[in-house]
Amino acid sequence: MGLNVTRPFAALRRSKSFKAIRAALWEVNPISKQILGICSALAVTVQLQTALVMSLALTLVVAFSNLIISALRNLIPRNIRIIVEISIIATLVIIADELLKAFLYDISKQLSVFVGLIITNCIVLGRAEGYALSNPPLPSFVDGLANGIGYSSILVGVAFFRELLGSGKLLGFQVVPAVFYQAGYENMGLMLLAPGAFIVIGLFTWLQHTLLEK
Amino acid sequence: MSDRLKSIVFAAVLCVVISLLLTAASTGLQRFQEKNVLIDKHKNILKSVGLIEPDRTYPPETIATLYQNSIREVWAEPDGTIIEKPIDGEQNLPIYLYVKDNDIQAYIIPINSRGLWGRIYGYLAVQSDGTTISGFTVYKHSETPGLGGEIEKEWFQKNFVGKKIINLQGEFVSVAVAKGEVDERIPEAQKEHYVDGISGATLTGKYLTVGLHRVLDEYEPVSIRFRKNAVQFNPVPRKSHPEGS
Repeated sequence: MGLNVTRPFAALRRSKSFKAIRAALWEVNPISKQILGICSALAVTVQLQTALVMSLALTLVVAFSNLIISALRNLIPRNIRIIVEISIIATLVIIADELLKAFLYDISKQLSVFVGLIITNCIVLGRAEGYALSNPPLPSFVDGLANGIGYSSILVGVAFFRELLGSGKLLGFQVVPAVFYQAGYENMGLMLLAPGAFIVIGLFTWLQHTLLEK
Repeated sequence: MSDRLKSIVFAAVLCVVISLLLTAASTGLQRFQEKNVLIDKHKNILKSVGLIEPDRTYPPETIATLYQNSIREVWAEPDGTIIEKPIDGEQNLPIYLYVKDNDIQAYIIPINSRGLWGRIYGYLAVQSDGTTISGFTVYKHSETPGLGGEIEKEWFQKNFVGKKIINLQGEFVSVAVAKGEVDERIPEAQKEHYVDGISGATLTGKYLTVGLHRVLDEYEPVSIRFRKNAVQFNPVPRKSHPEGS
């Protein structure tokens, strides 16, 4: 079965990779459906910029950890497999952290411990155990990318609302016009605190579940 | 090979590979990271004297120029005299001077205090009257985010501005972190020697208080000189376009 090159987009939509990505964005989204990786979703979504960097870091980590673990899946001794997986994940995260400290220093200070906490993020270990150990490297890489993209979509969505409502800005640029403030509009301070994040994530999850049931 | 042996060999090989990778990453990136840390240090010194605003981002070149033009890195002898270079065999303390129009506006003391989970590093700037604090910044710590970690926030640091390190009798009292709010807990006469505490971070406040006291006490000879207006250091104007000599 070859790809139908006269209608490339249709062919792309039928490919496994696309379906995997779409599934992770919607039907099995790691945050809203699988309820994984919540704590970092709360902490780094105060601003859109930190959410974007965190999303990129996590997506790359889970994709490459899946790739490496899948490539080694027949070599890893069963009795030490969790430790081996965590070692590989930790190495990738440390490298990512060092890169951030070298090239995006100010953002790395804002992200502080949360990049390191990617090691403990359930999504990464979950996909390693649940997919990479029993599937070939390339599909595992795509699965990692897909879950990373699903996670990123929620992170960016939550950060969008939290930064907009909580400080009137997006990516650091003032978006709410001055006239609103003069008319009495005030930033919703709750959005900058953890309860605000819980509420937004809860609403996202509820929305997604409702739409999926239809 | 038995299963157990296979596990041990695999683990050993994995450890060696990972160590090589991490060492390569760390040494390869060290240059860039150190440069960033230096810029951050300069930024914090400039922030402690109010030369840059806390909420804005500045390109590295701006920081470098501002620092070059306004800050002098010097040393203090045990009796408080300020000298250009440290003298071997003497206990010299590092100190930074904020210089404007050939006049010393403030002196900046590097703070290295015990914290709850690790050391707290920052800068405390005192005006040239040797008494009033002009700014306080924290650039490295290991405190809990949201609790002790609030020491790196603007709201905590700006409370230090205007506080005094000597009392009306001229005795050194340093500045302390109160337990709770200064307005509610501290008697009127003492208010200018305390800043608001952080709720849920009493220990961080305690350690920081002790740390500040110790460091400021170390630099008292310098402060005393400033109070008496007896600082004899003449800031040499920097050449802005050094020709190759």
